[in-house]
Amino acid sequence: MAEDLVSTMPWSECLVPPGAPTPELVAVVRRAHHGVVPGWTARFAPLPWLVRAMSDMTSDPFASLPLRDASLITLVVSRDNSCRFCYGTQRALMRILGFDLDAIDRLERDELVDPDPSAQLALDFARRVSRGSPRPGVAQLAALERSGRSRETVAELVFAAASAVFTNRVSTLVALPPEPIEGSGYQLAGRLLRPLITRMFKPRPKAPEAPPAPNEGLGAPVVAALGTSPAAGVLRRTIDAALASPVLPRRTKLLMLAVIARALECARCEQDAASELHATGMAAGDIDQALDHLSSPALDAREVQLVPFARETVRCNPPEIQARIRTLASGLGLGIDEVLEVVGVTAAGNALCRASIILAQC
Amino acid sequence: MIALLVGVALALAWVAAAARRRTAAAHRRLEVAARELEALQHAFARFAPAQVVEDIIAGGMATRSESKEVTVLFADLQGFTALTERLEPARLVAVLNGYFEAMSRAIAAHRGHLAKFLGDGLLALFGALEHDPWQAHDAVRAALAMRRALADYNETLARDGVPPLVLGIGIHRGAVVAGVIGTAELVEYGVVGRAVNLASRVEGLTRVHGVDILVTQAVGSALDGRFRLRALPAVEVKGLPEPLVTYAVEGCDEG
Repeated sequence: MAEDLVSTMPWSECLVPPGAPTPELVAVVRRAHHGVVPGWTARFAPLPWLVRAMSDMTSDPFASLPLRDASLITLVVSRDNSCRFCYGTQRALMRILGFDLDAIDRLERDELVDPDPSAQLALDFARRVSRGSPRPGVAQLAALERSGRSRETVAELVFAAASAVFTNRVSTLVALPPEPIEGSGYQLAGRLLRPLITRMFKPRPKAPEAPPAPNEGLGAPVVAALGTSPAAGVLRRTIDAALASPVLPRRTKLLMLAVIARALECARCEQDAASELHATGMAAGDIDQALDHLSSPALDAREVQLVPFARETVRCNPPEIQARIRTLASGLGLGIDEVLEVVGVTAAGNALCRASIILAQC
Repeated sequence: MIALLVGVALALAWVAAAARRRTAAAHRRLEVAARELEALQHAFARFAPAQVVEDIIAGGMATRSESKEVTVLFADLQGFTALTERLEPARLVAVLNGYFEAMSRAIAAHRGHLAKFLGDGLLALFGALEHDPWQAHDAVRAALAMRRALADYNETLARDGVPPLVLGIGIHRGAVVAGVIGTAELVEYGVVGRAVNLASRVEGLTRVHGVDILVTQAVGSALDGRFRLRALPAVEVKGLPEPLVTYAVEGCDEG
C-alpha cells in the first residue's frame, strides 16, 4: 500500500550530522510537540532559528482550519513534492491519530469518493499553491469561499500548504532521515498503545492571537492578511529570525528571497526584498541586474553561486537538488550552520511567496 | 444440532475470510494502478503543463489554451539529406536517434521542453510549461550545451567513419498561443504564432551567415555581458517588413 510508496521515494544520505541542541531549544520543541523531540532538533541545532521555525510550522498554528484538513494538506503536498521524510512522518502520525488511511488513499488518488467534495477542492487548491505554476488566483480563492469556508479558513488553508512547502524544502534539501515514528504506527505495540497516544497527541485548534506587532518589512502584507490566526506570528517570526541571523550576510539572504519571489511571480515580495536590498547599500542597478540575469559584477563569490541556487529550489526533485546542495556546500566551503541557513532561507522564501496568493483575497 | 450450527458458522467464517482476501487483493491492484497513473502523470508533466495533464486525466481532453511569452529554439541538421543517401537505413536511424538523445539531454538540463521532432530538426520551448523569467538565458545555454554535445557526438561518429553532423540553431522570444492541438486520435501540447515562424526563419539564416547559433534582438537584449554575441548584417526575411538583425552566439563566460 502507500507505506510501500514511502520506501520507494528516492532519498540521499543526510547532509548534516546530529548536533547538541541547548536545553532551552529542546524545551521549546518539546512544548510544541506534546513532549516529543523530533530528530531534526539535533540536526538543526547549529542554527536555532531553524529549529524554532520547524517547530512552529509543524505545530498546527490554526484557529479556524479544521485539523483534518491541515493534516491532509500536509500529506498531499508532501506526496506531490516527493518529500520522503514529510510524507512518511505525516502518514504515520495520521495513522496513530486514528485517521482512516483507506479513505485517505482514495482522496490522494483523486477518486472523489469523499462524502465532502469540498475536501477534494481544498486538496486540489493546496497542490496548486505548492506547485505555484500557474499561481492560483482570485477565482480559485473564491471557489473555496463558495464551498462554505470563511476568509479566515481559506487564509489558513493557504498557509497550511505553504508551511508544508517549508517543511518539504527543509527536509528535502537536508535529506532528513526517517523518524522512528514512521514505523511505530504499523507495529503491534504502536497499535495497542494507539488510544493512549492518540489522546496525548491529538492536535487541538489554537485560539486566535493578536496580530504580530511590529509587522514590518518583507512579508508584512501576507502576515497582515493572516489576521488573528496563530499562523501570522509563525510567519513573522520565521522571516524576522531568518533575516536577523548573523550566519550569512543579510544582503545574500535578501537576494535569494528576491530571486524566489521573481520565479514564483510574487511581485509584492520581490519589491519588498528589493527595497530592503537597497537599504543594505546595494545599488538599484545592481539589484535589477542580479534579478534579471541571476548574476551581477556586484555579487560576491558566494552570492554568484547562491543566487542561481535559490532559483533551483523553487521547482525541484529530491535526488537532483540533494546532489546539487552537496556540491554547492563543498564547492563554497560552507560550514554546517551556513548550509542550514541557505536551506532555511530558501525554504522560508518558497513558503512566503506561495502564501502570498492570499493577498488576492484583499 | 450443535454440529450443524458449528458447521454453518465455520462455512460463514470461511466465506467471510475469502471475501476479505478478495477485497484486499482488489485494493492492492487498485493501489498499483493508482501508483502507475501517478507515475504517468509525472512523466507527462515533461510534455505539457501539469494543469493540462490533470485536465486530460479528468476529462479525456484539455481545452485550455493561453497566450504566453516563450522562447522558441529551432534546430536543424545541415546537409543531412546527403547523408541519407550514403548510409544504410538502420545506421541512419541509429545516427539520428543518437543525435536526438544528446540534444534532448542538453535541452532538458536547461529547463527546456522538447516540443517536436521535425524530420532531422527539432523544436524546443522555454517558459512554456512553467513560468520562467530567465527563459532567454536558459535557451541560449541550452544551445551552447547542444553545440558541445554535438562536438562530442561527432567524435563518436568519426570513429565509426560517419562524417560530422552540422547543426544550425535559431532562437527567438515572443508571444505564442499554447494549448493542446490536434484531434481526439492524435493530440500534442504545442504552440502557434509568429514567434514560432520567426525562430524557424532565424534557424534558416545560420546557413546565410555561416554560423551555428543565431538569436534575435528580443533574445539578445535579455542576456547580460557574460554572453558573447556578435551582431550580423540585417537580412531580408519573408513575412517581415524590415530586414532582420540577428546575433551569432560565440560563447558564455560563466562566473
